[in-house]
Amino acid sequence: MRVAILLMGTLLVACGAPQPPVAVSDVEITKPMPGRHMSAGFLVVTNNTGEALRITGVESPQFESVEIHETTVTDGISRMRELEELLVPANGSVTLERGGKHLMLMRPRNLGDSVTLQFHSGNSPVLTVDYSFSSEDESK
Amino acid sequence: MGPKNFIIAVALAIALSAGVFVAIRTQAPAAPASALVLPATNPVPEFSLLNQHGEAVDQAVFEGQWDLVFFGFTHCPDICPTTLQVLASAKKALAENGRQTLPRIVLVSVDPERDTPEILGEYVNYFGQGNLGLTGTLEEIRKLTGGLGIFFEKQPGDGENYAVDHSAAVLVIDPDGRFHSLFSGPHVVDNYVRDLPLVMGGR
Repeated sequence: MRVAILLMGTLLVACGAPQPPVAVSDVEITKPMPGRHMSAGFLVVTNNTGEALRITGVESPQFESVEIHETTVTDGISRMRELEELLVPANGSVTLERGGKHLMLMRPRNLGDSVTLQFHSGNSPVLTVDYSFSSEDESK
Repeated sequence: MGPKNFIIAVALAIALSAGVFVAIRTQAPAAPASALVLPATNPVPEFSLLNQHGEAVDQAVFEGQWDLVFFGFTHCPDICPTTLQVLASAKKALAENGRQTLPRIVLVSVDPERDTPEILGEYVNYFGQGNLGLTGTLEEIRKLTGGLGIFFEKQPGDGENYAVDHSAAVLVIDPDGRFHSLFSGPHVVDNYVRDLPLVMGGR
């Protein structure tokens, strides 16, 4: 019986749509506040492969510079540091959220209603994310 | 009364007084759960800074209203806007609950190099009307932060690209301009909506 269930599981997986090796969800990018030249980006990156993924760089045509940052609050002190890479474990995910790891998008250029983010691992492109602003994206 | 009855009587007495104690505790006004009210208030130290309109102000700027004071910088994309948004949302909720006296939101810049009064003004106005931004020389900012136990430290960076570490607490200054209580965070709207009326009382 146990074998049968396992087999069924395998069949279901085999019949489903092929999973992309890397996927993103819960993307949210804040609009720069009036007079400010930066936005924050929050999202979940999921690695469906059996190998850890190192995201070493992010670029956007709409921003001069994109950095991976982490905010920590320890002993009542808020600190923000740039991270050299974002490690997404094998068959795991990493969450970029308020008060934690996040993307810092700096110096917008011709910013319209959408943002494209290109994630790299070394020199290899990993994935591209297209995001359209909604009315809720005022910085908050 | 035999020894057995005596023990029962003592047990009953203890149970009764425990019951009375619980009843008193339950009827007592609720204490703030997130805010730490200082055992004794302290006057805000003397300082000379600029408000967001570029006008010189001193410690008297904290007199006449309750203030929620946060220390941060406008180039901070994460914690600072999130905290200010929490304070703005809490203030809105208190107004909707019918509270007449509402606190003012104050941002004291810990990054005067980049935070001019004009930049600070755009920033604080974004979070609502009537907010106050303070900036000025590093020396004068340190007079204020030092006297209130607030820490900040500029981090190495590349030109204009640097971060500033800073205390994450929100301080409550009473209408006499005295440091009254603090919220140490994480900052959550519900905590402020529940605790601020208790902290501010009838004032």
